[in-house]
Amino acid sequence: MSKAESGPQSKQARGASITGRGVTKVFGSGPGAHHALGPIDLAVAEGEFVSLIGPSGCGKSTAMLLVAGLEPVTEGSIEVDGKALTAPITEVGIVFQDHLLLEFRTAIDNVMLQQQIRRLDKRQLRARADELFGKLGLTGAERRYPWQLSGGMRQRVSIARALVHEPSMLLMDEPFGALDAITRTQIRHDLEMLWLETRKTVLFITHSIEEAVGLSDRVLVMSNGPGTIVDEIAIELPRPRPAHLGDYPEFAHYAQRIYSTFEKLGVYRFK
Amino acid sequence: MAEAATPMPRRAGERRWLAAILFPALSVALFLAAWEVLVSALGVPLWLLPKPSDFLARVVSDFALIAGHALATSRTLLLGFLLGVAIAVPLSLAIVSVRALERGLFPVIVFLNIMPKTIIGPIIIVWFGIGPLVSVIIVFLMCFFPVLVDSMSGFRAVDPRLYYLTRSMGASPLQTFRYVRVPASMRYIFAGMKIGLVKAVEGVIIAEFIASSAGIGYLIMQASSFMDMTLMFSGLVVTAVIALVFNALLLGTERLLMPWANAER
Repeated sequence: MSKAESGPQSKQARGASITGRGVTKVFGSGPGAHHALGPIDLAVAEGEFVSLIGPSGCGKSTAMLLVAGLEPVTEGSIEVDGKALTAPITEVGIVFQDHLLLEFRTAIDNVMLQQQIRRLDKRQLRARADELFGKLGLTGAERRYPWQLSGGMRQRVSIARALVHEPSMLLMDEPFGALDAITRTQIRHDLEMLWLETRKTVLFITHSIEEAVGLSDRVLVMSNGPGTIVDEIAIELPRPRPAHLGDYPEFAHYAQRIYSTFEKLGVYRFK
Repeated sequence: MAEAATPMPRRAGERRWLAAILFPALSVALFLAAWEVLVSALGVPLWLLPKPSDFLARVVSDFALIAGHALATSRTLLLGFLLGVAIAVPLSLAIVSVRALERGLFPVIVFLNIMPKTIIGPIIIVWFGIGPLVSVIIVFLMCFFPVLVDSMSGFRAVDPRLYYLTRSMGASPLQTFRYVRVPASMRYIFAGMKIGLVKAVEGVIIAEFIASSAGIGYLIMQASSFMDMTLMFSGLVVTAVIALVFNALLLGTERLLMPWANAER
């Protein structure tokens, strides 16, 4: 381990840490300003899988953009690996709800965009892409264009694109939001298996309790917008977790706790 | 999905070839045959409406004359069209990128476009005299606007969140341009060029009517002054052939530059 830490790969092999203090985002200014998020404090350890769960419009997607350095914080500060963010971080893979694949590139070429833009070794990245395609059940789909793939496969390609350059952090914004329930459960498991192998730091944005509990080490529950973090739940379930999370009595307990938080906040208004 | 997609391409390719070439050729041949039969049966005189056999034979017998003019027209067309594309595409990128240009320049271009281009002909003749340059300018004006407008939509068509992705990859603006913007806008640029080409062919003939000493448009005007109906119809057919050839060249370029558009849906 100590030997690996000195090499250039070591930083990639390890996950990054994220620390946010008083992070607030306001879009625009004056009377038209929109207070989207915060203030929130955030601490994600190296190699940890953390979910942000919250209702629509709570600013959780904004939180992801802030952590990626793609949008500047209005107030507060974010540090990645102890360094304050001033520009977009590149040691990262991002998956959005829409696959955002380039329609004019085949599945494999969409993934290899990382290699081209980052000017990485082509053969090495291609081998890594092939490996990821195998693990994600995409073998045989390399030469297909996005519109020739199912929604689930498109999102798998998008995950491969986010991981092929072995980033220290994976940011996912409702990546399974547009998929059907069965595909969602399978892809959740496949992501967990990939994560168990590599232990990248993952910040996972979702509005699904099942996904949050099914994947995370820790779940941060957010309030209505402008979102703040109102609860923090450590998920102590063995991994890999099963398709049917109801097998664990603890799952019901975690789910109940998130539901009741949302009820207290008025996210749910059941009569 | 995987099972259905594999055997498709070849059969679909053959079907496409049939649909693209054979069926249109057949229906045109049928149309010409009906024309031939009707004109013969009704005894329509040659000076009123020639038979297809008349003007097709004329293309063969006067081949040197017609080919020379066809070559002149093609040259003008190619020059004006390339000039239009070469200016419209970079300009569209500039207009989309620079707010001030979009506000200031684009309305002027729209206003100029509303004006029928061919009526500028006499003015251009005053400026440049009678010659191929006038036709080139008119062709340029005809195809410029459709290419400009469609390229603008193309450069705007990129999902802004893709820029989040490229920035997180550390892409330079040039890399984003090369790997994302250019290929994403290509489909739109080609759509604009296809419309532009139709307009350009129309423009080149009209320009040659009013201000040239060569080209199919000039040939048709000459034939008209001698009441040479057959030659006029030959000119018409040759113009259509020129348009078809240019269109085929454009489609070929599209296939070459956009292999993804070519894949089976």
